[in-house]
Amino acid sequence: MSGLVVALWIANLVLDTGGQLAFKAAAGDERAGDGLARWKYMLARPWIWVGIGCYVAEFLVWIAFLSLVPLSEGVLLGSINIVAIMVAGRFLFKEKLTPLRVTGILLVAVGVAVVGFGA
Amino acid sequence: MKRFYLIGFAMLMAFDTLNLICFKLAGNHALPVEMSVEWLARVFSHPWIYGAIVGYIGAFLTWMSLLKHAPIGPAFAASHLEVISVMALSWWMFSEPVTVTQIIGAVAIIAGIVCLAFAEGDEEASTDAVTA
Repeated sequence: MSGLVVALWIANLVLDTGGQLAFKAAAGDERAGDGLARWKYMLARPWIWVGIGCYVAEFLVWIAFLSLVPLSEGVLLGSINIVAIMVAGRFLFKEKLTPLRVTGILLVAVGVAVVGFGA
Repeated sequence: MKRFYLIGFAMLMAFDTLNLICFKLAGNHALPVEMSVEWLARVFSHPWIYGAIVGYIGAFLTWMSLLKHAPIGPAFAASHLEVISVMALSWWMFSEPVTVTQIIGAVAIIAGIVCLAFAEGDEEASTDAVTA
């Protein structure tokens, strides 16, 4: 894989994880209330905009990435995002990592590594 | 009700697959990759990019209606198992070679997704038990 491909892969990973965590932070704020007031509260704070910005950038990074690698390989390498989200959720939102989750995370990570080194 | 889920999960996979195939087609059309307005113009001048956007919207709406009732575990698995359909289609549509390392990696990734789906299911069952 070329340097550009690796850079796009990492950028996709960071933007996807950052976007999801920002949306989680926006949606999980308990002071936000309900209904329309909740949306007003969320839109007046930065997190939801950080999330949207990440997703817009990710859209372009992902197209660029997929145009440079075979699609089957790209979609397998992109699975690493699942791992990043779960690990970040553990540290930032204190989500539990049960043995079954850890097994799943390790299997996905090993699979991505096998595909990545084989490419 | 079971049929509703099956159709829902199949639709989710289909929209995700459509999204990825269209992304690939639009991206190929816009090559070479460069950080420029010209590249952006090439991406958005190609009809496939709008197919990708349809895939996004369709997947989002399907996901939201599924989550209203469906258990999160199988929903999670269905939302990530498009790797299987995408690999099959890339081999068929783009004549991409499927190598042994790719198959080994794919099997590990799919097994991992299935584990995570069961982990979500367990968690939901235990929170249900607590609230019940």
